[in-house]
Amino acid sequence: MSEILGLWLEWLPRLLGGLWLGCKVAGLSLILGIPLGLVLALTVQAKSTVLRAATLVVVEIGRGTPALVLLQLAYFGLPSAGLTLSAMAASVLALAVCAAAYTSEIIRGGLEAVAAGQKEAADALGMSRLDKLRFIVLPQGLAVALPPLLGFSITILQGTSLCFAITLPELISQAYAIGASTFRYLPALVLASLLYAAICIPASMLVGVLERRLGAHHRA
Amino acid sequence: MNETSATDIRPLVLVEGLRKSFGSHEVLKGIDLSVQRGEIVAIIGPSGSGKSTLLRCVNQLETHTAGTVTVAGVTIGPDSASHDRELQKLRRNVGMVFQSFNLFPHLNVLRNVSIAQQRVLGRSQAEADERSMQLLTRVGLADKAKQYPARCSGGQQQRIAIARALALDPQIMLFDEPTSALDPELGLEVLAVMRELAEGGMTMIVVTHEMHFAEDVSNRVLIMADGEIIEQGPSREVMQKPQTERARQFLSAVRDR
Amino acid sequence: MLDILGNLVTGVPMTLFLTFGALLVGVILGIPICMARRSHHPVLSNLAAAVIVAIRSIPPLVWLFLIYFGLGSGILRLSPLVAALGGLGLITAVNMAEIYRGSLAAIHAGQWEASQALGLPRWSRLVEIIGPQVARISLPAVATYAIGLLKDTAVASIIGVPELAFKGTYLSQQTFKGLEIFAAVGFLYIAMSLPIAWVSRLVDARIRQRVAQ
Repeated sequence: MSEILGLWLEWLPRLLGGLWLGCKVAGLSLILGIPLGLVLALTVQAKSTVLRAATLVVVEIGRGTPALVLLQLAYFGLPSAGLTLSAMAASVLALAVCAAAYTSEIIRGGLEAVAAGQKEAADALGMSRLDKLRFIVLPQGLAVALPPLLGFSITILQGTSLCFAITLPELISQAYAIGASTFRYLPALVLASLLYAAICIPASMLVGVLERRLGAHHRA
Repeated sequence: MNETSATDIRPLVLVEGLRKSFGSHEVLKGIDLSVQRGEIVAIIGPSGSGKSTLLRCVNQLETHTAGTVTVAGVTIGPDSASHDRELQKLRRNVGMVFQSFNLFPHLNVLRNVSIAQQRVLGRSQAEADERSMQLLTRVGLADKAKQYPARCSGGQQQRIAIARALALDPQIMLFDEPTSALDPELGLEVLAVMRELAEGGMTMIVVTHEMHFAEDVSNRVLIMADGEIIEQGPSREVMQKPQTERARQFLSAVRDR
Repeated sequence: MLDILGNLVTGVPMTLFLTFGALLVGVILGIPICMARRSHHPVLSNLAAAVIVAIRSIPPLVWLFLIYFGLGSGILRLSPLVAALGGLGLITAVNMAEIYRGSLAAIHAGQWEASQALGLPRWSRLVEIIGPQVARISLPAVATYAIGLLKDTAVASIIGVPELAFKGTYLSQQTFKGLEIFAAVGFLYIAMSLPIAWVSRLVDARIRQRVAQ
């Protein structure tokens, strides 16, 4: 046991480096993906049929294709169209597309949860469409969407493990490399799992607390 | 049936010193009640008075905190450390009809009435179905046998629930506000079935808001308030000349509605 | 393009086998996990809760690696397919347990009470009364999960299960036509998920029509 602890101490900096890279990729994907998701959530309700249809196609492709395939498309596919991306850039691009598609559905759900009476009240007060969206619908709808958005952020962080397939040196790549060079796969992978758990368990508990708080706030 | 022949003078239901608390809140504060074979007892009282809890203690859907409940010779003590087997024995003699019917939505009407006959009494499916059809005919719903409960009106569902309970040949039927979830005209068809049962000599305890039923059909009325029986006696007497002030207040309040 | 599709389609049966295999493992294994989670025994229910959280907080690919490379290095050698079925089945099982738990909570207390009042034995209450209702309420969530699982099976390609994504990777290394190939792979995943969604809606509508409340 003490031998394994010694190995873990030795490997920890390298694995933490991988974890940090995964966090960066997840963070960047979300920073790009969530605003895009908001745009898609709005255009899916647009009056223009073309815009609505285009949005639906983007969302369905983004949600229907495995994240792993999106990553491979970005990294191995785009070069044949003349666009060569680094593993980091391809990871962020693919996961951002994935995030945009999923978060658009989450945000749409939040916006739809805003009571019809709120929109009618805004109309009755003579607010413009933009003001109604900005001051009435978005603040309430995004509050509802916040816990599932955070839950999805955890999923995206877990999804960065897939970047292993496109040679990004994130946590699992590091653990695998350690395993391959020492033949100690199990302890290396267990430590990597513990690191994921150490982030994801508290984060999901936070989401749970937030959900209950928000639920209580809405009932009040 | 020989241990419980019609000449048996022991009460069919005997509740002694029954107490029930939910946490620190005491819902039943020492209830004594005995029901003779063939008697029809109506329990009325304001909501929150503990009348449904009392009924649910009789077949041990609620365990009680102190006292005993005896039904047809089976006695259950407090916080039922009693075996599942004792409970099964007690419930075998007790039919129950709920406010919200509680038919099984995934089984058709016939299966709803037959299933417990097969699992509890060990009847074959053919025997059970035959008995079920008799009972469904009796409550006027033989034509609904192959339907699912969702396709039946509330009044029909409640009549099916009565048939389901009767199918186990219970010695006593408990009714927990059987018409409260129904529109008045649908409630009437349920009350008609209950009236028929009463005329057939079934022992019944009925928690109800139907003052006419309490006065006309039952032999005895109990008025409960705050976990206690505040008044009881022959139906007409209690309903028309209540002795206590609280009973008078309650009765005049429900009559003004 | 057609020959690419033709080549990729050979991976579809394995993807479907992985999806439904893991789903079957999960649907069955989820029952005891759910029962443990709802047990009145505090040790058992807390243990089940901990297992559920632990399994969910570790990414699917990591589970496959733990089983295939971790256990595989000297403890228990498994084929890629068995490792993938085991890992995905395990993850599916805890998610099914949580779906069942939600469905149980949605069942009216009166259903338990009525079956108790009728004196039905315990097995009959679970198998004949509550179980079918849990199954019915869970169906839409299980179908949604199955579509997600279909996409998650792509990770099995990384440990070498010859399914759709694996064929895509292999073919793109052979032909350097990555863009067309991975686009076609994505298209096939979407195409496979459509009938699952369609069948589940159909079944759900049929049950609903019969027993709608």
